[in-house]
Amino acid sequence: MSNPSYPDVVQWAVPFFIIAILIELVWILIKGRGGRYETRDALTSLIMGAGNVATGIALGFVGLGFFMLLWALTPLDLGTGWWVVLLCFVLDDLRYYWVHRFGHRIRWVWASHVNHHSSQHYNLTTALRQTWTGTFTMMMVLRAPLILLGFHPAMVLFCGGLNLIYQFWIHTEAIGKMPRWFESVMNTPSHHRVHHGRNPRYLDANYAGVLIIWDKMFGTFVPELDTEKPQYGLVKNLGTFNPIRVAFHEWVGIFRDILRPGLSLRQRVLYAVAPPGWSHDQSRDTSEQIKRKHLAQNPQDRDTPGFEGL
Amino acid sequence: MTLTVLLLLVAGGIAGIAVLLHMLGMSKPHIFEDEAEVKSVWLAEYPDTLVRDVLLSENRHFALISSSAGKGIVWPMGADGAARLLLGVEITDMPYGLELSLPDYTAPEIRLKLDPGEAKAWRRQIQEAP
Repeated sequence: MSNPSYPDVVQWAVPFFIIAILIELVWILIKGRGGRYETRDALTSLIMGAGNVATGIALGFVGLGFFMLLWALTPLDLGTGWWVVLLCFVLDDLRYYWVHRFGHRIRWVWASHVNHHSSQHYNLTTALRQTWTGTFTMMMVLRAPLILLGFHPAMVLFCGGLNLIYQFWIHTEAIGKMPRWFESVMNTPSHHRVHHGRNPRYLDANYAGVLIIWDKMFGTFVPELDTEKPQYGLVKNLGTFNPIRVAFHEWVGIFRDILRPGLSLRQRVLYAVAPPGWSHDQSRDTSEQIKRKHLAQNPQDRDTPGFEGL
Repeated sequence: MTLTVLLLLVAGGIAGIAVLLHMLGMSKPHIFEDEAEVKSVWLAEYPDTLVRDVLLSENRHFALISSSAGKGIVWPMGADGAARLLLGVEITDMPYGLELSLPDYTAPEIRLKLDPGEAKAWRRQIQEAP
């Protein structure tokens, strides 16, 4: 079996990230539009990004060890041809779609991903507001099929890195819409602004990493409407910039809920694995309930994008 | 890329961007335009409640809310706003006004910069029954 070597592209992209943030900032200052920056918000996002790199270095061995174990088990080896890398990239993007979708629909995974949505801003620093606790979600198992099919773990991680780098530039309000052909196939700033919107219409939409076709295939695509600007952040926004609290608040919430007295075992499990907002006493709302409440007050929105089938 | 270079890039990048933003005046806490803006921030967090009264502080950084769910506070989160019900609040007098402590991991302390007279009145209002 071959043992290919690929660069850690995310680390190599760090200088590009810094330059691009400065360019976006200058653009906003010159044009007076195209996004907003605030010191503590940006600082928190950047610290979350640095922490993500640090935890990746510290805990990366868990995922890598798992992948190398699978690689030792599989009899398949697709090699390192360019078409294999391309195929790996597309399949890994499909894998990303589902990890991301689970990240919004399973509270245990949301606990890791929530911090990425915790800024009320949407600029290039928001892209770097990444999780510190991804390893604990065990979502690495979704990469197992790729490795068992014969894609080398190093190639899979390389493609995952490229995927993350692609997603950096779409975290901006400085770009309106891309050409129509591009918007129809690729994930773009417009599509991803929808994903970050807390508006009922935009909740649980556009999970794509690079190719927006996955959302169109699996019924989660919602276009950005000119009539409804996304409001960024969480359904219930954080009242702190403390990176520790940003990183761990949903985990704390899960454990507090699980340990509440008087619950059945099923209810305790559901507090961990049900969609965010689920509660045993209906005291909170899931995104679906938020959408239904919105429709009850705004019936004219029924069957419009984001509210179909409700 | 060596770990040392990566560390220098990350630390330098974070510090440089933070200092630049601060020097560009982007650290100023949000000033609420009017009661309507405060109300919209509140209702975004607590859409199922009714707002009965809004008391905006003189500096327009903070607002005390009387709602159908009880007393609440709206305060600036950088350039935006945040809102919380004041359930289980502990109030501490501070030289700058009041500090509210909440049993909420996502908003444990809220520092209200208020004039002494205003701080006294707000303390009384917060302690009153909803």
